[in-house]
Formats: sequence, C-alpha cells, structure tokens
Amino acid sequence: MRLSNEVELLFGLLTKRLARSLWRTKIRLFAVVIMVMVGVFAGISFAAYAHTASGMYEDIYADTDKGVNLADIWVENPSSTWDGSTADLFCLEIEAQWPDSDLSLNECEPRLKLDGVMFHISDDGEESIVPAVWHGIDQGHIDRVWFPEHECCSGVMPSADDEIVVDVRVAEGMDVGIGDRIAIGAGSGTMNYSIVGIGFHSNHLYYAQSGSLFPADPGTFATGYLTAEGLEKLANLSGGSANQLLIDIVGTPEYDLQSTTDIEGEEITLVIDKIDSILQDVHDSPSLVYSRSGVESVEFLRADAESAMDIYVPVTVMIAIVAGITIFLSLQRLVQSQAREIAILRTLGIPRNVIIPGYILMPVIIGLVGCLLGAIFGILFGAPSMLDVYEGVLGIPIVESANINPILLQISGIAMLVVLFSGILPAIQASRLQPLEIMRGQHEIRLSSRMLQRLTSRFPSTVGLTIRSSIRKPARLAFTFFAVGLSMLIFGSMTLMMGTMEDAIVGNVEDNQNWDAEVVVPFGGEVAVSEWAEKRGANYELKLAFPANPDGDARYLSANGLDSISTNDNSMVVLDLKEGSLPAANSEITQVLVDEGLQHFLDWQVGQIQTIMFGATPMNIEITGITQGEISRTIYLHRQDLVPVVGMEATSVLIELPQGVEVDSELGEISLGVTQKEDLISTFESLLEQQQAIFNSVLALGIIIAIVVLFNTLIMNLAERDFEIATLRVLGAPINKIGGMMLGEHIAIGLVGGILATGFTIIGTQALVSTFIQWAFYLTVSPDFMVIAQLIGIVVFISVMLTPFGMWRISRLNLVEKVKDLSQ
Amino acid sequence: MTTVNKLLQMENLERHYVMPSGTVRALDGVDLEIKEGERIILLGPSGSGKSTLLNCLSALDTPTGGSYQFAGKKVPRASVLGPKLWERITSIPWNPLTLMPPLRFLFYPIDYFTHSRPEAKASEQMTRFRRENIGYVFQFFNLLQDLTVLENILLIQELADGRDEERARHLLKIVGLEAEVNRFPAEISGGQQQRVAIARSLAKSPRLLLGDELTGNLDSKTSSMVMEALVKACEAERITCVLVTHDESLIEFATRVIRIDSGKIISDEIVE
Repeated sequence: MRLSNEVELLFGLLTKRLARSLWRTKIRLFAVVIMVMVGVFAGISFAAYAHTASGMYEDIYADTDKGVNLADIWVENPSSTWDGSTADLFCLEIEAQWPDSDLSLNECEPRLKLDGVMFHISDDGEESIVPAVWHGIDQGHIDRVWFPEHECCSGVMPSADDEIVVDVRVAEGMDVGIGDRIAIGAGSGTMNYSIVGIGFHSNHLYYAQSGSLFPADPGTFATGYLTAEGLEKLANLSGGSANQLLIDIVGTPEYDLQSTTDIEGEEITLVIDKIDSILQDVHDSPSLVYSRSGVESVEFLRADAESAMDIYVPVTVMIAIVAGITIFLSLQRLVQSQAREIAILRTLGIPRNVIIPGYILMPVIIGLVGCLLGAIFGILFGAPSMLDVYEGVLGIPIVESANINPILLQISGIAMLVVLFSGILPAIQASRLQPLEIMRGQHEIRLSSRMLQRLTSRFPSTVGLTIRSSIRKPARLAFTFFAVGLSMLIFGSMTLMMGTMEDAIVGNVEDNQNWDAEVVVPFGGEVAVSEWAEKRGANYELKLAFPANPDGDARYLSANGLDSISTNDNSMVVLDLKEGSLPAANSEITQVLVDEGLQHFLDWQVGQIQTIMFGATPMNIEITGITQGEISRTIYLHRQDLVPVVGMEATSVLIELPQGVEVDSELGEISLGVTQKEDLISTFESLLEQQQAIFNSVLALGIIIAIVVLFNTLIMNLAERDFEIATLRVLGAPINKIGGMMLGEHIAIGLVGGILATGFTIIGTQALVSTFIQWAFYLTVSPDFMVIAQLIGIVVFISVMLTPFGMWRISRLNLVEKVKDLSQ
Repeated sequence: MTTVNKLLQMENLERHYVMPSGTVRALDGVDLEIKEGERIILLGPSGSGKSTLLNCLSALDTPTGGSYQFAGKKVPRASVLGPKLWERITSIPWNPLTLMPPLRFLFYPIDYFTHSRPEAKASEQMTRFRRENIGYVFQFFNLLQDLTVLENILLIQELADGRDEERARHLLKIVGLEAEVNRFPAEISGGQQQRVAIARSLAKSPRLLLGDELTGNLDSKTSSMVMEALVKACEAERITCVLVTHDESLIEFATRVIRIDSGKIISDEIVE
C-alpha cells in the first residue's frame, strides 16, 4: 500500500516534469496538436461526404415511396424505335420465358427516350440550341421522376401532351420555371411545352451528356420528362412507340460492377443473357441489354460513393501517421535531452514502470486535444464544406446527411490509436536508458561512419561536416523523409491528377478535335445535315458511333467509325497512336485501333484478332494499333467497315464551321442534338474551376504538413548542435560561414527529401489511380517534369527557409553561458 | 638580449552583473599586463571571477568598465544600448497580459534596427578578434564527433579562411598524435582528445591561448601529458597562454601565477 502511494506520487511528479518540458517547446507542441487536428478534420470531412454519398445513392434509387425504383435491367434499341405492339410483345415474351432463377420479374415497362434539342433564348437575346434528352413517362412505376422534399423541386408530373417536367439543372441553367413555355425538338421540327414541374430523373442525377464523364455546364445540356403521347407527338411517332424496356426485379439484385473483374451478379447475368436471346428470337434488330452498371449516371454515383468510402480511412491514417511520426520524433528528442535526469532518477531507484506511463500519457493528451479541435472544425466547417461540394459539383440536393456521431468515433479512434502507438517506443527507450552509460556520457557518443568519412574525405572539412551531420541521425531523417513523402503525396497526387485530367480532357478536345460542332442525326438524317454544311461552305465528315461489347463480356465500348483515321494534326479527329499502325479499310478481317484502356483491361495487343458484338451480331477485328488519351473504352475503324454491320450510315456529323457561320435553328430542327466544341471546353474548364478551391485547400494542407514535419526535425537538429556551434563560435567561426554550412545541409536535406517525396508521389498516385480506374474511366499518370521540379522545389524551399531561423538562433546564442556549460 | 613585447593590458577592468539580489562584482578593478610568451596559471576559488576574466580576455564577454587593449589596439566589445522600445513601453504599468505580446510584435522592426543589428555587428567584431588572436581549450574537449582528428583541425582553419593541412599535421605531431590523424574522437582517449583540442586551438596561429580547466576532466598522469604537450606546442609556436585551473600542481608548467578572489587580483608571481 505504501509502495503504491509512493509510485503514484512519483508518477505525478514525473508527469508534471514531462509536461513542463514539453511546454517549453510550445511551437513544436502546437504544431503536433495541429497535425492531429488536421488529420481528424480531414477524416471527418471526407467521411461525412462518403457516408452521405453512399446513403443518398441507396435512398434515391430505392424501391420505396421516396425513391425512384431504379430499373434492374435495361433493354435498348440503339438505332431506331419499336412500334407499340412489338414493344408489348417483348415484355410479354420476357414475362413468359423468364428463366428459372432466384430473381423474379416484377414489371416490364416499354419507354420512349429520344435525343433532341432545346431552343433557348438567353436574357441578352442570344439564341442557342442545347443538346437534350427527352423521356416519355406515363405514370410509370420504374425509373420515376424524383421530386425530393427540397426547395429545388416542385410541381407535378405532366398529364397533358403539351406539358413537361424539366430537370432542376435546366431550370437553374436556363432560368425557366413552372408556367414557362419552352421550345424543344427531336429531329422533326419544333414544339412548345408548358413546364409543370421541376425535378430529377434517375438516369440523369449525375448530369452529364451521354459519353461524357463530366457534369455539363449550366445551360449546355437539357433533359425533360413528358407524357409518352407528348414525346411521340414531338418525334412524329405512332402511339406506343418505344426504344427502351425497363425491367424491374423484385428486390435489388446484385449486379456486375465495372470496377472489378469479379462477377458479382451471376444470377442477373444469366437473366440478361436469356433476355438477349428472347429479343433475337422475337425481332432481329441490334439491341443492348444491360444492368445498372451500364447506366453511366448511376454507375458514376456508385463509383463516387464507393471511392469516397474507400479513401477516407487511408487519408485519415496517412495524416495521423505523419502526426504520429512528428510526435514520435519529438518525444524521442525529449527522452534524449532528459537522459541525464532519467538516469539520476533511475540511480535513485525509480522503477521503469513509473517512467513509462508519462511518455504514453503525453501523446494521449496531445491526441485528445487534437481530436477535440479537429472534431469541432470538422463538424462546423469541414463536413458542411464537403457536402456543399457534393451539391455544387453533382448538383444533387442532400436530403439527409450522414449521422456524424459514428464517424466522429471512428476517425477519433483511428487518430488516437496512431498517436498512442507513436508514444510507446520513446517510452520504452526512456525506461531502458542505462544510468551508468548516461553518467559517463557514452550514450551520446556515436562512431561516425567510416565509409561516409572515406567518401567525403576529399571535400573540404566544412563540406564533409555538412554532409555527415545531415545524416547524423539516419532513423530520424528516414522517418522525416517518410512523413514528408506522405504529406507531399497529398499535394503531389492532386497536382499530378489534375494535370493528367486536364491534359486528358481539355487538352484532348482542344488539340485533337478539329471540328466546331458535332451534330447528332436521326436514322438517315445525315443527308440533311450534310446539305446544311455544304450550303454554308463548311467542311464536314460523317461519324458512326455504335455501342458494342467484347464477345463474352457485358461491358460496353464505343465503336467509332470515321471517314478519316489519321494522326495528322489537320484531320477532323486526331488520334494519338501509342503503338502499331493505322488500320486499312475493306480488309478481309476489319482492321481497328483500340484504346490503351482496352489493352489494359482485356490484354488486347497489336496483331491479335478479337470478336466484338453489336447486339447479337459478331464482328471479327484485327488490332493494328493502340491509341492513348481516351477516358472511355473506344475502338476506331473505317466508317465504311462499320456501316454494313449496324445498318446505318452515320450517327453524327462533325462540322468545321467557316468564319462567320454559326449553328442555327435550322440545324437544330433537323438534328437530335448539337454539341459545340467551345461548350465542351467550357464545361470541362468550369468543372476544373469548381474543383480549384478544393485543390488549393489540399495543396495548402500538404504543404503545411510538410513544413511542420521538416521544421520539427530541422529545429531538433539545430538544437542538438548548440554545443558544436558554440564551440566553433568561441573559436572564431564567422556566422556567415556557419550559415553557409547550414544552408548546404538544408539544401541537401531538401533535395533528398524532395526526390523521395517525388518518388512517393509518383508511386502513390499511380497506386491511387489504379484503385479507381475502371472500365468506364481509365487514365494513366505519367511523371511530368514540371510537377517533379515543383515538388522538389517546394521541399527544398521549406528546408532552406529554416536557414534564416538557424542563423537567428545562432546570433542569439549566449556564448558566455555556453562556455560555462562547455567547461563544467 | 631578447626584447619581450607587451601583448595585452587591462586597466581597472570591471564586470558587474545586476541581479535582483543586488550587483555582483565579478571583476572589480582588475589591472593586468601580459607579455608575449608568458604561460600564466590563473588560480582562485569558485566564484572568484577567474572565468569572467577569461571571458573578457577572449572578448566573449564585455566589461562594464575599464579598458582592455590587445597588441596596442582596443578590443571590440558589445554595444551598450538602452532598453528596447517595447521594453520601455511595456514597463509602463498598463495591462501587460493583454498588451505585451502584440506590442512586442509591433515594435520588433524598430528594435531590430536599433538593437539587433548593432548587437550582431559588435558580436561579429568580437568573433573576428577571437578568430585572429585567441585560441581556446575547454574542459570537455568539444571535438566534433563527425570529423576525424585531422578534420577537426582543418575545419577551424577553413572557417578562418586558411586551410593548411601541412600545419595541421605538424601541430598533431607536436602534441604527439601524428598516428591518430584519421581516427574519430570517439576512438581515442580523453587525454588524446584534449591534445587534439590544443592542436585545434593552435591551428589558426593565435597569439593568446586560453584554457578553462582544461585538465579538470583528466587524471593527474594524463594531465601532465596534456600540459607537457601544451607547453611544447606553445613554445614551438611562441604563443602566450592563460590557463584557469583549481589544480595547484599545474604551477610547475607556468612562468607566472596569478591568484584572484572576489573579482580582484590578490597575488601575481613570476615562477622561476
């Protein structure tokens, strides 16, 4: 009992002494607390986004009163429409021949969905033709329009054939509202419709044009939801026409994800294959049958939620590790500076177990304070900002955000665990100090490396000392470089990613697409558009883009038939050939180019012969080359080779407009949509601009962490060298020469740190990219010289910035006091 | 007959410290003249002022009164400046808790130009004086552990603008360490380290070598070896020495013994 009281008393005194020692290095202490805070802040912010995005994904698509009951299987006629009786027959046959499966059919609904245009006159009187998608929806049970309980949305579903519900992004981007009348077309003239509601459609929650992975700039894309009759009237089609069948299965079955190579939805794949064969039996026209993974908007939101869920824990752990390393190094330095005191205590009989808890308690307190601050800032600012990003970039209102309490517990738990772990080793080191060695001063004596001495012996002693003292504490330096590497990974990966994305998207459109407008045409409509172009002296080229899939693989690719397949800068579409040669037209086996994503996912190589499917129609292809720069999976072939297979001449016309010629309403009326190159670029640039704030925040975060880590280590290095520097100063060393040595050391550390950070960044970014690339989204990150120079430059700059601080510190050295220490 | 030149002269030198308990007169009117080639042992009890005198001799510290000339020239000293602006302002009895830190920050640029710069300039002048005239040997050797014996000496030469490896090796030979040139300090004994420190202090040919308890960390046999090496080196290099010690046995190596107490010289004897 008495012993226990003594131990308690000692523990209290030792902990108080330790706390006071830490308090003496307030700046470092503050920096460490800030790092824990940043880790928790970032973790809470990202986790709030991830959980909210996941929850939203589940809730919106759910088969509930508030959800839209997303279809499970889509059947699509990509080239034309079925008449009413054919569409009904399909549904009847599917119901009758439903395979023997655990999955039961709930409902099959024929639908009409058409590409078109919206004619819009802006406030300043400028008329524009906006590409659009129109859905004909009669009180359907599947893929309903979503009217969330939110200020964004209001109104009712259309009931008359001149009524329309427009998407929220249309209402906002084109400044239209309920009661307004809008003019729209679908290849057969123009009609006016009254807006009766503003909402969302399940296929357009992520608001991007078909084939684009990026949300459309406001006012550059439109979607609307009419009655079936209303859309039939617009397109001049007979009653009951459809080009889609929406199939709802009871419950929500597993389906194949594009992001994995596993077959998650074995059952649904069997059903899809069966439906495919039923369609071929009933009507021999190319048709596409796919699950949710084939709907870009749905797949994007799932991938976004999934990658956010995957990434927030590693990001938190990464920042917590950096904080942990800083705490570890600081405590280790504290142990070193207190070695003599610890030795005296040990000599006086203080047991080890009294020394250990204090060194563990300190990081726990640091962690708790950091967690508390991080939680406050995360809940008040981080999480709301990230949710604003969700609403801002995706344009979807958050109806219900994630419960923050479990997130708080999880993130704080991770941070505390890492922080606690960082205190264990210094605590053990403190308890294992040998009093005798310390009293003799032996614990500070190290034998310098003989090899290093030999390597640097030819240099002047000042240079030799600079090099050797830089790596005096290799473990500390290694930990520091690791932590700097991690923090620069946060910064560098963003820089590399943004650069790669900008090159892949904006650069690709700006440099490799020499057309001004891509006009989507209905079946046979290319003739009218060609005439329009000829009348105005515009160059044009037909393009035939048709979905296909590799034989035995349900994932879709786009087969692009071009009139001119060329790498020439003057051609309408400039291809970037990575390897191989351009295909020849009319070969016995159709020659094609495949993109490097297909090479990556399917291991398709130059010289191979493969089979792709257009619906049920197979086509053998010979791969003559690999292209790069495509984000979606694409093959290129001569248009004349594709026409006989799909039975169409063209799906769009690429037009190079002469000076003074613009897209006009005449073109809008004869087309299914006009995409202008300048709109595409402005969409991408606007998206990049929107993300600039997040990008800058992450940059600042990475740099601040790197500054704290490097400063922490370099200040410790400086503090350890006080006696050496005082000796040199007493012996007459001028401050500018010591400053020169210090500068050399800081440049060397900065250079090594920068090079390692670059290595970390490149490897880390490639690993990061490999986690989120998938069939629909593929890009490669290649080291960019400017980014590498920037990374190394930043680390060198941070390191060199400490030289003036070191000089200031030396100038403040009290040599009289130091000489006393040197001689006592 | 050889002419012995006067190396330095102190007249009525004072070093007072103002402490909360009153003024401490560490040096209280010291008059001292040292001639070239002398080996002086400075003896005195703890707190007698011998280390303060050594600090003033080396221009590490600035006397508060009196004069100090070295080779006929005034020795540079730190500027005597009034209190800093922020110190004057914050000494006014207003709420220091809330006002001191921001005020200090605000007046930092003014204080920098009125205090820090002149202080830094004076400090560099004193460093230059030491570089050109003084060698210093400490009790705990303070060799740089990352450099070999030879490199420790070369470093001081390089920092003083004159690497001379031949001389460095010659000095190591004088102190009997020519065989240890490529060893690290941790690989040689304490006595050997102190001899390296002596060679290092002589590396830039100082006119005055100062030692503060330089054998205080060594046994008597090693002390004698170190002192013999020191005498040999100083004689070879014609260098004047002032050594502070508690150890009366070192008198045998001196040409003059000065005793100091309470900041005053109480005896000054020439040793035969």
